[in-house]
Amino acid sequence: MKRKIEMVKTVRVATDVGGTFTDLVAFESGPDGMRITTAKTDTTPPDFEQGVLNVLAKGNVDPAGVDFLAHGTTVVINALTERKGVKVGLITTEGFRDTLEIARGNRPDFFNLHYIKPTPFVPRFLRAEVPGRMTYKGQERAALDLSGLPAILDGFLNEGVEAVAISLLHSYANTSHEEAVLAEVRRLWPGVSAVASHQITREWREYERSNTTVLSAFVQPVAARYLGKLDEGLKNRGLRQSPYIMQSNCGVDSLAAASAVPITMVESGPASGFWGAAELGKLINEPNILALDIGGTTAKCSLIEGGEVRIMTDYWIERSRKSAGYPIMVPVVDMVEIGNGGGSIAWVDDFGKLHVGPQSAGAVPGPAAYGKGGTESTTTDANLLLGRINRDYFCGGEVTADMAATEAALTAVGDKLGVDMREAAQGIIRIANNNMVNALKLVSLNRGFDTRDFTLLAFGGGGGMHAVALGQELQVKKVVVPAAASVFSAWGMMMSDLRRDFFVTKLANMDTGAGVRIEEVFASAEAQARKTFTAEGVAQSQLSFMRYGKFRYQNQEHTTEVLIEGEITDAKLDKIVEDFHTTYEREYTYRLEAPVEMVGIHLVARAEVGKLTMTPAPLGDADASPAHKGTRDVDYALEGTHNANIFQGEKLAPGMEFDGPAIIEDSGATIVIHPDNRVSVDAFQNIHIEIGSADK
Amino acid sequence: MSNDPITLEIIQNSLQATADEMFAAMRKTAMSSIIYEVLDMGTGITDAKGRIASSGAGIPAFIGVLDKSVQAIIAKHDDIRAGDVFITNDPWYGGVTHLNDLVLAMPVFLDGHLIAWTANIAHNSDVGGMAPGSLSGEATEIFQEGLRLPAVKIIKEGETDQAVMDIITCNSRMPDFLLGDVWAAIASVRIGARRLEDMAKKYGTATFVHAMSSFMDFGEETAKAELARMPHGSFELSEEQDDGRVYHVKVTINADEFIVDLRNNPDQDVGPTNTSRDGAVVCCQMVFKSLTDPDTPANDGSFRPLKVLTREGSVFHAQEPAAIGFYFETEVRVYDLVWRCLAPHIAERLPAGHFSSICGTFLGGIHPDTGRQYTIIEPQLGGWGAWEGRDGNPCIFSGFHGETFNTPAEISEARNGLYVDRMELNTEPGGEGQFNGGRGLVLEYRIRTESGFLTAAYTRSKIKPWALEGAEEGSGNYFEVIKPEGTERHSFVTGLSLTTNDVVRVVSSCGAGYGDPKKRDPEAVLLDIKNGFLSKEKARLIHGIGG
Repeated sequence: MKRKIEMVKTVRVATDVGGTFTDLVAFESGPDGMRITTAKTDTTPPDFEQGVLNVLAKGNVDPAGVDFLAHGTTVVINALTERKGVKVGLITTEGFRDTLEIARGNRPDFFNLHYIKPTPFVPRFLRAEVPGRMTYKGQERAALDLSGLPAILDGFLNEGVEAVAISLLHSYANTSHEEAVLAEVRRLWPGVSAVASHQITREWREYERSNTTVLSAFVQPVAARYLGKLDEGLKNRGLRQSPYIMQSNCGVDSLAAASAVPITMVESGPASGFWGAAELGKLINEPNILALDIGGTTAKCSLIEGGEVRIMTDYWIERSRKSAGYPIMVPVVDMVEIGNGGGSIAWVDDFGKLHVGPQSAGAVPGPAAYGKGGTESTTTDANLLLGRINRDYFCGGEVTADMAATEAALTAVGDKLGVDMREAAQGIIRIANNNMVNALKLVSLNRGFDTRDFTLLAFGGGGGMHAVALGQELQVKKVVVPAAASVFSAWGMMMSDLRRDFFVTKLANMDTGAGVRIEEVFASAEAQARKTFTAEGVAQSQLSFMRYGKFRYQNQEHTTEVLIEGEITDAKLDKIVEDFHTTYEREYTYRLEAPVEMVGIHLVARAEVGKLTMTPAPLGDADASPAHKGTRDVDYALEGTHNANIFQGEKLAPGMEFDGPAIIEDSGATIVIHPDNRVSVDAFQNIHIEIGSADK
Repeated sequence: MSNDPITLEIIQNSLQATADEMFAAMRKTAMSSIIYEVLDMGTGITDAKGRIASSGAGIPAFIGVLDKSVQAIIAKHDDIRAGDVFITNDPWYGGVTHLNDLVLAMPVFLDGHLIAWTANIAHNSDVGGMAPGSLSGEATEIFQEGLRLPAVKIIKEGETDQAVMDIITCNSRMPDFLLGDVWAAIASVRIGARRLEDMAKKYGTATFVHAMSSFMDFGEETAKAELARMPHGSFELSEEQDDGRVYHVKVTINADEFIVDLRNNPDQDVGPTNTSRDGAVVCCQMVFKSLTDPDTPANDGSFRPLKVLTREGSVFHAQEPAAIGFYFETEVRVYDLVWRCLAPHIAERLPAGHFSSICGTFLGGIHPDTGRQYTIIEPQLGGWGAWEGRDGNPCIFSGFHGETFNTPAEISEARNGLYVDRMELNTEPGGEGQFNGGRGLVLEYRIRTESGFLTAAYTRSKIKPWALEGAEEGSGNYFEVIKPEGTERHSFVTGLSLTTNDVVRVVSSCGAGYGDPKKRDPEAVLLDIKNGFLSKEKARLIHGIGG
């Protein structure tokens, strides 16, 4: 890229607004290598942009000198879960006003006769109908009648509606009715926030699409206001080009696009970490990665095969064994999230069974060891008691561990189980690990992937603490904990492309002539992608595409994605079908002779925008003693207590090697190295842990 | 053997994860929409004796089925070997429900010892018999309802018995669907078996087996602890049915037992609305579980305090060769009967009556665009009853179904080649109270080709969902067939012919209310009016509110 040649120094900055803290990581690359700066300030609700400006100031980053700024925010997910969006009116097809409330009718908590069905985001009196019908093939069955629209909009206005959502039947197949309604709404009510379902998704299932549209409308004014103020604030301080906004599909998007359809930001936090995992995998030649992000309240995992993250549109918020939740049909990185993090509370039920999570002690009062009045024992307390976390270097030395509180909390758990506090702590670690192993199995073994072919990459504040135990259980190739694991998500943001995922439902048989028809669907989606990117000033030459077809055996419902290379012709159909059979058989153990059909496409369009380039450092001496800072007894739960060598993470240099039992600790994280492990530090300062290969 | 509670807990969690994985595998690979969309299926793990240890998501009515199937297989066979897979669908051979539901079960061995079973049940679209879809209201013998599979081996030590497979597919009107669904089920039990073997290898067979039995004991303890908190005594109810028959139940609760006496009931039906004794037991298990411990997964121990008394030859304990195709409407009546019998005495655990019918709707014909046969087999959504402090839920599946999904109109139109003219809430009066019952469903199918058919069986049509504490009862389930010559209202038809532009209008009941309607919060009444659920006149009349 041009910029790299012209400029001596390039400054890239990632800012991330979390629930408690706003983080900053700045990467300054110049002729003499790269300098990384991190900073952290309090998140500043409701004016979240202020926190971003604060953290830039704290990190001494002058916006005027920043070449590329990426921004991740929880503003969308917060507005949804706290119900702090605007009042929405919905316009839908005659006969389908109640789609939003009928939903899918499922009752996951099926023995509970007092189950409470999720309440729709738009009440019935704000759900209006217009006559007009399309068929599933996209042909007009009844003409659209907009004569009732003025009265509908008057009603909305009187009720204080601030955003209009439009979702009509079969709009995925033909968008013209929705476009007409949208245009008329804008003509009759200039300036109102309005969105039609086809602008967000071109997939079928009317409830999922309607709910997605409604949720997007619900957060749009809030998110647009936030992004607008952020942009203004940064530009006032000299930032030259608008920040890029992290998306749930592991890419970044322009600020303008994110403001128009903000719902695609819903899971941007985890997405940047998983993207980082994929990119790091490529860098260290480990394209098959099981990525695990352990934070304060949850653990999230995702599988990366051949360097590619899996992006799906089957995403729900607030869904659990207790609730049906709400679907959001936008491209989101495929992941499993469980309520198991460092702050997860351990508790004993009425029948003497130990559980860990999903309740979390949060930042206040936090684990008992914070000494902020927390009396409940958390995973962190168990890790402290067992010597896995250094009680004299708790939170990088910023907090004095209140061990009396930790011991009291663990003793209380032990009393209920009839064991002492140490056994209680071991139990907590084992249960927490088992919960995470089951989550990791969901994304790997359950889909036919053999974990022995994968490297476990663990990050987030708690990743290194549990990674080896999980890796041993799953028999992964090896465990890698990245350098600066606690700010790994920010690094991932720096590695992101400008990316948009297009999902389009289109049924097609695989008979003669299908090649042209399928090619046409991809070509049309690609043309649309080119158009929007070009309008935003992205050069054609920067663009690249990946084509996935969604296939199934005729009469099935669920589809399997198959990557398709190059232009599609009839001559290629046999190979595509064979690829489908192979993928299907790996996942489900058998294949059928039945005819195969395509149900839709998934097109990935991306363009590079100022991505970071990593340069390896030369490997030095294997002797790790410069980083060695002592020994202590560490309880490994299943493997007993061992006197472990303690290493200071910041002092580990490329090329160093040592054996477990050991602990690596730095200001942000702790890595637990089990006996029989062998550790090496690579050229990017990542920690590689070989399981069961220590020198005896 | 390890008796460490943490290890046992971890094994239990892994059993749950395995049952869920089996469920996911079946769901994703099935051919029939009744399986992959409606999820009329279930998965489970039993111990070596066939006692249920863990079950996957899905529908509660299937959880108590699989153990009975496995026990019937064990009783019949003395050559159970590694790699075998058994199949049954007949209520007199452990099938419990009706012939459409194929149960596949696989023994799990480690080092030559039988340690567990994995099993799977799913509704198959057509297993032969006198009517398309295998269900006919005209059937008087089980022989008319499809092919009977009396707990036989379909795979012997890993080798498919092609003869059995051919007989099964040859007897179906939809052999491709059936074959795809059977293979999906086989994949599901095999995946489960592989996981269990790994688990037993890792923890040792003795620990693995002990974990299962200790959790069953735990389930029993939990149930008994709740029994102690319930009112003790005998409770009785007689209830008239839509067809004029009267069903009776007597429930006796004491500190150790929960006895459901169903002996005093009519003789078995000549038609297909009978259930096997196992089926009646499953219904009692569901109510019992909801009453005692709705939060934790069910296992054999959860049901130990339950005793069910039936009379052979009665509608709740049909004798071979009774027809049982529509067993589900009979079962849901047992379920609701026990629920209704106890609700006035334990109102904090039991809401008012819900629409309480599967509202099984079977529509078939030729897809006008593809020329292929289509069959819709679906239960309907309906309104649930209110309880103190809360209105009932609108439009969810009956107590029989759980993690079951309706079919989107967009998919139905593409897959079945008909039009869904509307899918909306039922705004008929019914269920008014201090807390209202939830709204039922109105669903209109417009037929696009000639030679279509409709079979449907709804109960709670004349005898409506029952209210509590002075509220109004629900509105009743029914369907209408709208033809140019007129509109007919039904609750039970078999093989009714349909042709182009006929409309089938499904109307499911609103749930029953709770409490005196005059005590309803005026704000809530005004909102009901605003939402189009209530006219101003009715508001005045029923709730005494408004002008």
